[in-house]
Amino acid sequence: MVRLVIAVGLLSAALLAFQLVLMQLLSIVQWHHFAYMVISVALLGFGASGTFLALAREWIMKRAELALPLLMILCGTAMAIVVGVSQSSGVRFDSYLLFVEREQIGRLLLTYLAFFTPFFLGALAVGIVFVRNVDQIGKFYASNLLGSGLGGLSAVVLLWMFAPQELPAVVAFLPVLSGLLIVSAENRRGILPVGAAALALSAYFFYAPSQLQLSDYKSLKRTLNLPHAQIVHEQSSPYGLVQIVSSPALRYAPGLSLAYRGSLANRDVVFNNADWFGPVFAAQRHVTAHVLRYTTFALPYAMQERERVLVLQAKTGMFVAQAFEQHAREIVAVEAHSVAVSALKRELASSTDSLFFHSAISVHTVDPRTFLQSDTVRYDLIVLPTLDAFGGTSGVYALQEQYLLTKEAFREMWNKLTPTGAVCITSWMDYPVRNPLRALATLVETLADEGITQPRQHIAAVRSWGMVTFVMKRSPLSVQEVQNIRNFCSSMMFDPVLLPDINSLERNRFNIMQDTSFFSLVDGILSDRRKTIYSEYDFNLAPSTDDQPYFSQFLKWGSVPRIREFFGEHAFPFLELGSLIIAVTLVQIIIVAVLLILLPLFKKKMMGAGRWNVILLFGGLGLGYMFVEMVLIQRFVLFLGHPIYATAAVIGAMLVCSGLGSWVSSRLSPSLLTRIGLIVAFSILVYAVSITPILHYSITLPQWLKIVLTFLLIAPPAFVMGMPFPLGLRSLSQQREGVIPWAWGINGCMSVIAAPLAMLLAVEFGFSVVIVCAAACYALAFAVGRQPQFD
Amino acid sequence: MRMLLAFFVAVLLLSDPFESAREKMVRTQIAARDVSDSATLRAMRTVQRHRFVPESWRDAAYDDRPLPIGYGQTISQPYIVAYMTELVKPQRGHRVLEIGTGSGYQAAVLAEIVDSVFTIEIITELAKPAADLLKSLGYGNAVVKNADGYYGWKEKGPFDAIVVTAAAEHIPPPLVEQLKDDGKMIIPVGTPFFVQTLTLVEKRGKDISTKSLIPVRFVPFTRGK
Repeated sequence: MVRLVIAVGLLSAALLAFQLVLMQLLSIVQWHHFAYMVISVALLGFGASGTFLALAREWIMKRAELALPLLMILCGTAMAIVVGVSQSSGVRFDSYLLFVEREQIGRLLLTYLAFFTPFFLGALAVGIVFVRNVDQIGKFYASNLLGSGLGGLSAVVLLWMFAPQELPAVVAFLPVLSGLLIVSAENRRGILPVGAAALALSAYFFYAPSQLQLSDYKSLKRTLNLPHAQIVHEQSSPYGLVQIVSSPALRYAPGLSLAYRGSLANRDVVFNNADWFGPVFAAQRHVTAHVLRYTTFALPYAMQERERVLVLQAKTGMFVAQAFEQHAREIVAVEAHSVAVSALKRELASSTDSLFFHSAISVHTVDPRTFLQSDTVRYDLIVLPTLDAFGGTSGVYALQEQYLLTKEAFREMWNKLTPTGAVCITSWMDYPVRNPLRALATLVETLADEGITQPRQHIAAVRSWGMVTFVMKRSPLSVQEVQNIRNFCSSMMFDPVLLPDINSLERNRFNIMQDTSFFSLVDGILSDRRKTIYSEYDFNLAPSTDDQPYFSQFLKWGSVPRIREFFGEHAFPFLELGSLIIAVTLVQIIIVAVLLILLPLFKKKMMGAGRWNVILLFGGLGLGYMFVEMVLIQRFVLFLGHPIYATAAVIGAMLVCSGLGSWVSSRLSPSLLTRIGLIVAFSILVYAVSITPILHYSITLPQWLKIVLTFLLIAPPAFVMGMPFPLGLRSLSQQREGVIPWAWGINGCMSVIAAPLAMLLAVEFGFSVVIVCAAACYALAFAVGRQPQFD
Repeated sequence: MRMLLAFFVAVLLLSDPFESAREKMVRTQIAARDVSDSATLRAMRTVQRHRFVPESWRDAAYDDRPLPIGYGQTISQPYIVAYMTELVKPQRGHRVLEIGTGSGYQAAVLAEIVDSVFTIEIITELAKPAADLLKSLGYGNAVVKNADGYYGWKEKGPFDAIVVTAAAEHIPPPLVEQLKDDGKMIIPVGTPFFVQTLTLVEKRGKDISTKSLIPVRFVPFTRGK
């Protein structure tokens, strides 16, 4: 019994760690939004295993002694090889080509299948254990959850220790070992050689891992096509795979003024998960013609001198170098990516002229919002990172939470400004124009919230041929500043977009826009009509909030037909790729979930109201648990300062505490299901209203205390959330034991749907709606589970 | 009989199975969207686009969209090629510099109109096949160089027009330098499969101005006015 409990824990740890490893690998070769695909595919494995058990229960239970260790070993084997399979030339898909080549759809499905296999095999083994030991279900469910929680935490450690391509083979050892742990004496001769072969295979793939094949459209891949381009430094970490590339053809001067006549030095560039992270700039106080003076980024310095500058999300420090070159006396850089910061200080120290060691510069490796909430200094200038990549990113970042660009974040920045201080944000000009308009809308609403009714007096903006920079000043723009801006524009061949006394002719002088609607939209946002602009424009321009922190999500579903008409069938998917992929994922997952759950239900002819009770109870638990988990991760990102730690802490704490709850539930009567359910639903609602203020007021605590507080805050609800599922299973087993695999499958499949569904709900309606939906799921589950009637 | 058979075989070999597709492309995708320069339209009718796309994409060569050519690069949508060509107003006697040869299609279109096309491709794996293809198709007035286009081609300049087919986050100062007085440079801004805006740079003495153009296919994107 003890060995079996340990084996389930090890297997569960491997399954969760493998999930996180796959997310990281897909983020490298494709884009981060496939993380949701991985979550769905993993949970699909659990759902499908339940259905398989429902259909082949008798057959497999008779052979359980042999099947259990074999399934675990095969699960490990599959983990070792599926990444290689997915990267092979016949299977590898490219998300950019999904809407160009039909063949790519088939390749994506093959990738689904490849990734699905280890989860299915592992989950089937867990399911068999549950069915065989239903009277001890609390212990095994606890082992499953505890193992998963520890697996999540160990994945974070493994990401520090091994290269991403080595990780599948590392994780694969665990299921093989768990299989070998439970081999019975009579099966030893047959299974041990299989286990040994599996271990040898894992070892082989560890020492000779499959090379990761990046999408041709990833920034790193394109950069490596440049002459003499080479990766000069590489570091794996939970933050991502950091790679530094050097090439004589790499230069960076975004939207450079046409007045610039000098040459441009080549620069090293840092990539994170094969995405552009930033160019490396050196301290160049002695060079008067610093190239950044010839970009619109220089606007705040052209207005007036800035002594104390805060650079948020500083990345590779381009704006730090600029502030330094502009003679700022004190520069505070905030960048959460500690590995990138470490590389800038060590491997890139010569390229930066040891910029980050200068006494004027201090670097904080913490999330910018966490810094804003805990810092007490006031600044003359706060600089934000540039919005959007050059020429747009086809909406691939639409689903990325950007807490630094919400209304709440701008309010916090406002409160950090000196009386004449300013916030600066730059955006590429996209078409149809979206990013600059949303940035402006956010600035205007920040001013409105501060009671300022004349935003034109506080916002200046200038435009080059490709970029626009906004500066929002705490006090009204002075006459001298306005004159300085005009001089700056004139010498750099830039055009002012916003000044208190702007005239339409000067807006379109050097960089003429054929489509002048940009100016009328800008004026509209500055006027009382801005809510009308938000509702009438075909893209969503309303500022993002902490509840809906998706700054780059512009798609309005109601506008889709019109946008398609404008840009054509082939071009449309590339306008909002991220949103479409999550929608496509959800549709695919629902279809597969229906195929896996509903069809077998009909085959087994589960009659009467009992069927719906099972579906609603276990489906509701699956949806509700995942919804809560996803929202809590988001809430703790700001508190703990980094998504990776928030994810590890929340998943770890939730699974461990739920595991304990599950363990305790084995001593409770199934009749308590209703009471516990009400406690869960109630605590979720209490969380919805109380967690944000609690976290806000405790954000200044030391990090170790915040981790303790995180655990204390998550533990109570997670503990009780671990009870309903095993209690429900026991209740079910007392009435209809044969239905247990279905309950397991339904729970798994609803969890599958929950991942992309929670994402879509959060993007469209906000996290508060997701958490209310979670409470509703539990309430619904317990309404039907009040007097569980499964017959 | 043998002569007749040889004649039919020769006709089959010499005929262009994509001629009607190309004609339709010019009529429905290009002329219909207000590209009216006769030299441009003639060049678009003449250049065999299907020869510039990978074998697996031949059937889609005349579709109204960009297509992948490998190495993360694309051959632009036919309309964008025609629109960019028309914008620089190419004429006989002109010297044109192209940055980003890709598969060589834009260079071939320009070579149909102007005297000399100098085209630079930074990716070696694309430059060599493009040079071979242009040569085999008889475009002796199009010269391909495998180099970093940032520096332009000073020895061959100054140029009447510069066509930058690869999106760039800044306009290289050497290219502005190598533009003749009254010369025009066109640069696309956009993602690989979705060219959204084009920027036209015009040089008049010391004055340099840019114009953000919207391909006529996309009318100004406004509502509620």
